[in-house]
Amino acid sequence: MTTKLTSISDVRRFFHNNKEPVYFISATNFNLLGIGDWVGNFRHINYINCFDDKQKNVFVPKEKFPRDFESIEDINNYLLEHKEVIDYIRSRGEQGVAAFLMFDEHTEEICEQLGLRVAFPPAKLRSRMDNKIETVRIGNKVGVPSVPNVLAKVDSYQHLLEISKELGTHDLVIQSAFGDSGHTTFFVSNEDEYYRYAEEIEAEEEVKIMKRINCRGSAIEACATRCGTVVGPLMTELVGFKTLTPYKGGWCGNEMFAGAFTQEVRDKAQEYTNKFGEALREEGYRGYFELDFLIDMDTNEVYLGELNPRVTGASSLTNVAAFAHSDVPLFLFHLLEFSGQDFDIDIQAVNDRWAHPDSIDSWSQLVIKHTDESVDLLTQAPESGVWRMAADGSIAYDHYDSHPHAAESEQEAFFMRISGVGDFRYEGADLGILITRGRLMDDDFQLNERAKAWIDGIRGQFAGQSVQDPVVEQVAVNHAVGGGNFKIL
Amino acid sequence: MAKQLAFRTVHEPQAGAKWQSLFELHWSAYERWFLSEGERERPGYLAGFNALRRHMPELLPTYERLCALAGGGDLSSRMLSLYRPPAYITGCSQAVLANGNSNVLVRNYDYPPELCEGTILSSCWNGRQVIAMTDCLWGVLDGMNDSGLAVSLAFGGRTVVGDGFGAPIILRYILEFCDTTPEAAEVLARVPTHMAYNITVNDAQGRYVTAMIAPDRKATIKRVPVATNHQKKIEWYAHALASETLIRERQLSILVDDDATTEERLVSAFFAPPLYRTDHRRGLGTVYTSVYRPLQGRVQFHWPEHEVDLSFTHFPETNFTIHYGPRHHGAG
Repeated sequence: MTTKLTSISDVRRFFHNNKEPVYFISATNFNLLGIGDWVGNFRHINYINCFDDKQKNVFVPKEKFPRDFESIEDINNYLLEHKEVIDYIRSRGEQGVAAFLMFDEHTEEICEQLGLRVAFPPAKLRSRMDNKIETVRIGNKVGVPSVPNVLAKVDSYQHLLEISKELGTHDLVIQSAFGDSGHTTFFVSNEDEYYRYAEEIEAEEEVKIMKRINCRGSAIEACATRCGTVVGPLMTELVGFKTLTPYKGGWCGNEMFAGAFTQEVRDKAQEYTNKFGEALREEGYRGYFELDFLIDMDTNEVYLGELNPRVTGASSLTNVAAFAHSDVPLFLFHLLEFSGQDFDIDIQAVNDRWAHPDSIDSWSQLVIKHTDESVDLLTQAPESGVWRMAADGSIAYDHYDSHPHAAESEQEAFFMRISGVGDFRYEGADLGILITRGRLMDDDFQLNERAKAWIDGIRGQFAGQSVQDPVVEQVAVNHAVGGGNFKIL
Repeated sequence: MAKQLAFRTVHEPQAGAKWQSLFELHWSAYERWFLSEGERERPGYLAGFNALRRHMPELLPTYERLCALAGGGDLSSRMLSLYRPPAYITGCSQAVLANGNSNVLVRNYDYPPELCEGTILSSCWNGRQVIAMTDCLWGVLDGMNDSGLAVSLAFGGRTVVGDGFGAPIILRYILEFCDTTPEAAEVLARVPTHMAYNITVNDAQGRYVTAMIAPDRKATIKRVPVATNHQKKIEWYAHALASETLIRERQLSILVDDDATTEERLVSAFFAPPLYRTDHRRGLGTVYTSVYRPLQGRVQFHWPEHEVDLSFTHFPETNFTIHYGPRHHGAG
């Protein structure tokens, strides 16, 4: 047993010298881009080959079939049961640490058999924490308020009005316990709107009924450790832009910059996140988590939105900014917490450094989906790497790199291709993710000109061939309508 | 329309280049079959591996060797585990004659010839010589080992499909690791099958059983010398009618119960209707007749105009083509 780690440089050295294989198993390696630079023997095991075999630490099984996966857990279980993946893991020592975006109890069984230690609290606990209704209760317990709400089962529109009377409005937002990115958030201000979603709402045991407020979405990532909760910066969220996503209220990116919200709001969010981290530890949860805060634009109140007890789509930004590089990326605190290595780090000092405006350089990301209803087969797709925008707004491939940092200025962007040649392009399909320095929204939270130019530029790099065979089109549409249509990030 | 099937006898004690070329020859057809209900319907590699490890662990080294020879890929390895393969049905009649004078297992394999591999493989993978008509590249339709254990399978005539293995792999397991009928019976009672099968086993001491195995009920294993394509009562009338399972069973039962029945009489009954079937158009015609003599370690494969006589000491490698159709053209 090595001696207790007491400083950040100890932590860096510990991971640089790491010998035990660490695997991030996921559809793509998007969420933890660049972590391999910090952790020895770090490997991504992915379903989608975003880097066309150019990236040494990314392993993608070659023999694959187009499948309608039902969830991210489903993809991960498919990967872990795949012979090429098993052979790969065994060739590297038949032991190691596994990290995921999502996993379930079956994943845990497979990992146990393969000799992989899951670096997360048990799936059962995570799934309980992931419940939006449970999140409200945990927040209430420790003084982290949610938007005024009622938790109840809904039987009819009349019933909805009755039970939500105390909210003092008919303008409501209804959320089910589980669900992501705009798929299960219903905006209901009249009976017609209610009936559009009635079946889904009434099928739930209990829903969260909120007063609709004029708010901005924000995201903050943190890691609950034995020495305290490490808190990243408060990021804005890009939500529901029609040029990016077909889903109303669907997440489509983030921005991180020092002045994203007022100092007062940022302090509040940090305080709440700390409290919530402690509450999670009391529930038995530890490690990486993300909180969405809803900032009321009229009152500047900070409300708890939802909890994602995991790595998320915002992790790609949290782990690249200046503060992450001046200390260590947030995800390393997570790995450390699950490493079995003893440590005693001054978390307060880390949080103070990270909260300093100078620590937060500005980064943004866009998740670009196919927004048309059309279905076609991609014949051309832009390569992952660094792209450069000319003065006239046109873009061109500059060079290959796997790290967002390689985009050096606002004229450059790191693009990670998700849908590639030979894939179906259907409504809601993820085309790719663009990460760039600087902002992509203006102060009114609208996409700025640069963002629009990048979106147009990237879309222009894709070309498809319409599907001639009606059977093939049917398969593609089923894929789109069926299981393929979930958030893979 | 005349159909034909090329048969070959292959002797390769340790699986190697010959098995590999058989794999390459048949893989595209098996891949199509394996994917016929969609790739997602088939269990993952780990599930097949775990099922083998749980139910037939001694088979794992052979399985792994064959997977490697097949290229080590995911799909081929999943298919080779024969764990929950696509559903398939066959015909078949089989009977044991074991008394003071005789000890023989005879069977007709009734199936579409184009879906049969036609490979008679002589191997010694686990220190035990096995001669078998192969199916699914290493599974067994019928065969025997050098301890004098002979086995044969017939479809059980029920449509139920469940969690378990394709029967050919269970027969392979029996031939690789059992010496006697009681040992084989223990395996048949224990290892889950994904469809209904009637498995007849006979050993050098003339001990025989027929096991009716199915995914939805406990195996029935009785000292019954004959089996066709139903289990207890008829459940699937159309198949029973088309395959004439009851008529065949009755004839076989009469024959084996008659003290005057000799091996020759039994075997020749398999060459004539109702046991010998010519309904090749519907895939219910007889593809071959095999006669196992466990005591002598000898097996004969018969066609109307061709015959192959093989044993553990005499196993020449040959190729020949059998034509099926209204008129028999014999070996070509």
